Amino acid sequence: MMLAELDNNSNLPAGIYYFINIMRDAFVKNQVRRYRQLQGRDNRKIIGTYCITVPEELIYAAGAIPVRLCGGSYEASCIGDELVPRDTCPVVKASVGFTSLNPISLYQMCDAVIVSTTCDAKRKLGEELSNYTEVWMLEVPHIKDTDGSRRQWIQQLYTLKKNIEKLTGRKFIGRRIRRKALEDSIGIINRARYQARRLYEIRKSPAPVILGREAMLAINAYSYDIAFEWTRAMSELNDELEALYHKGQFVCSEYTPRILIAGSPMIFPNWKIPSLIEEMGAVIVTDETCMGNRYLYDPIGTTEKSVKDMMVGIAARYLMPCVCPSFTPNEDRLYRLLQMAEEFNIDGIIYHVLKGCVVYDFELIRVEKIMKEKNIPVLRIETDYNPEDIEQLRTRIEAFIEIINSKKRKMKEA
Amino acid sequence: MTVSQIRWITLTVSFFVLSFGGLAALSLGNFLPTFSCFYVESRSGTCFLWVLQHLLDHGYWEAYKSLGKYLLYFSLLVIVIGRAWCGWICPLGFFQDVLDLIRRKLHLGYISFPEELRAQLSCVKWIFLFIALLIPLWVSFPFFGKSIAMDLRQPFCQLCPGKYILPFILGDTVDVAVNFKSTTTIIMSVLGLIFSGVVIFGALLKRRFWCPYCPMGLFLSFYKKISFIKLKKDCQKCTMCGICYNVCPMEIKDLLTERKNEDVTFTDCTLCLRCVEYCPEDETLRATFFGRTIYKSSSKGFFSRQHITSGFPEEKHQVVSEPYQ
Ligand code: SF4
Ligand code: SF4
Ligand code: SF4
Ligand code: SF4
Ligand code: SF4
Repeated sequence: MMLAELDNNSNLPAGIYYFINIMRDAFVKNQVRRYRQLQGRDNRKIIGTYCITVPEELIYAAGAIPVRLCGGSYEASCIGDELVPRDTCPVVKASVGFTSLNPISLYQMCDAVIVSTTCDAKRKLGEELSNYTEVWMLEVPHIKDTDGSRRQWIQQLYTLKKNIEKLTGRKFIGRRIRRKALEDSIGIINRARYQARRLYEIRKSPAPVILGREAMLAINAYSYDIAFEWTRAMSELNDELEALYHKGQFVCSEYTPRILIAGSPMIFPNWKIPSLIEEMGAVIVTDETCMGNRYLYDPIGTTEKSVKDMMVGIAARYLMPCVCPSFTPNEDRLYRLLQMAEEFNIDGIIYHVLKGCVVYDFELIRVEKIMKEKNIPVLRIETDYNPEDIEQLRTRIEAFIEIINSKKRKMKEA
Repeated sequence: MTVSQIRWITLTVSFFVLSFGGLAALSLGNFLPTFSCFYVESRSGTCFLWVLQHLLDHGYWEAYKSLGKYLLYFSLLVIVIGRAWCGWICPLGFFQDVLDLIRRKLHLGYISFPEELRAQLSCVKWIFLFIALLIPLWVSFPFFGKSIAMDLRQPFCQLCPGKYILPFILGDTVDVAVNFKSTTTIIMSVLGLIFSGVVIFGALLKRRFWCPYCPMGLFLSFYKKISFIKLKKDCQKCTMCGICYNVCPMEIKDLLTERKNEDVTFTDCTLCLRCVEYCPEDETLRATFFGRTIYKSSSKGFFSRQHITSGFPEEKHQVVSEPYQ
């Protein structure tokens, strides 16, 4: 449904079709040919991941392929409804739903999945999934900056590394994740991040050259693609967008209200909020969700090529800059939001809370407080994957955007 | 050229100039804020710590007066570039960095001490500094233990790894031995040799192993508030990615956790600027000279130094053969 809507927009940049096709193959056509091919022909393992705190470098370095499985489908969440408590968040419901019934191959094909112990629901998710597949839990410390948690986290990654090696290793050969492989995989994903950052920069332009729902979809597609291929496609898209910018072909004017989406992850196909916002005449210039900008923003920096140093670098990257509210204290997120509001010249924030996602809801008050000082309105939207509330959401979003519009008009006159 | 490369060049040139400059009759004075060791015959300038201990233990006015003069010159040198003397000039720093380079080339990891241990060890540099300041005063007024006191001249130098390591690597092994003159000298030189062994071994395992305990470094850090060079951080732009902490050879964590003050020139900082080079956020870390930015971090720089801003990894990483459509 969402894809058809996107497709119908005749102004789409050509580069975006690649990403739309990834989504279509994964969720509509239920086609995972590339992965199957890799699994069958090249004997590669596929490892599912359930959070951005799972280091994909380790997976690539072992010759395996990661796919990010956090579920965003309404149908799957309905299946999951039967299996987990009612108040669980829809991400976990959909993930359990997908795994239990195996309706799509994306979930079926995984040889093992990695679940991080971030929020309560994710912690229990791992336990539930272990009924169906091999699960490795990854214990994420909740207080980030103590020496103890740093050490514990590095230790966890070494354990994970061992698990992956056990899965991918063949007898006698290729048992270990080698130094060179690790170095390469860091390079590969840093390349992807570099392209993601280019898109991030492009979206800062006063008049946008790409709509937020498309840009977010492109980033989201990374979950279901192979990093290398994604990077290539993203670099083409970026080149195209830069050209559009120089030609002055904007998708909307610089007076269009600029929205930042914050809060619980928005995972395809749950695309209703991005679509609504942009249908109502605003533009999403950036987001701070873990399926969007946060996913590929921070790079890994290492000064030497020893396994030890690279592991330290990977550990830091996947823990320190992550501002998921399952961490505490989480002041860093407020700094991040303020910085984004400034960089992107934000007019309003839509704060997305998935029903049952307590941690994001908790931080709303703080976010509202700091944004009030900056005179940026915040609209909290609590919803799940059910499409029934679309009309109601539409009214609220419309009103919110209208307020911003009138404010902007006044400012323009003054 | 990256800052690291420029620093290597400066460090190497300084090492040779300071170690061999004397052969070309070059004389840079005896108030240098760096380990240009007195015990290196061919040096072109002398470590201020030696002069300090030497003049303090004289106990008469003229010596103190010239000490005051040297202290003034020393201070001026430190005020201008602060602890960049450590990161960019010091011969013992160079020696440690060379060992570090060897370790890296062998792809061996480094060790890092737990924070708690680091905090406990941070008193060591103070102890060394007190040894360098107080014992010479006792030597100059030896109201007890006169013979012991006289054998304790330049007490810190007798312990200093610089005294043993620097002449040794330049091929001069005369001082690299136990001094059997008296019990005191035996103890001091044995301790000094042990320290030197530990430093050599340590520097192969840990980045800038000795510098956190160096009294000279501590002395230089006293000037950090008035020094012209400063390290600055834009706390709002920082994403807490932790890279600066990981790459810092002095393992300064405050640099990462600082959320209030702009000035992040911490006591241990040797101004090597590696953190600035590796910070991936635009203008988040900066080095300033006289308030003017001389070097700043940038996202673009971060990625281009890894050669990933254009082109793609070689074919072997291309895991998929079939085009996607
Ligand atoms: S919201 Fe937090 S716990 Fe959930 S996937 Fe994102 S980062 Fe992980
Ligand atoms: S022994 Fe150490 S303190 Fe003494 S002059 Fe040499 S380097 Fe300086
Ligand atoms: S701390 Fe001491 S040994 Fe280290 S670079 Fe500075 S002066 Fe040299
Ligand atoms: S804080 Fe930066 S400049 Fe100072 S020692 Fe560490 S890496 Fe070098
Ligand atoms: S490297 Fe830069 S962005 Fe990262 S924690 Fe340090 S100062 Fe902040």
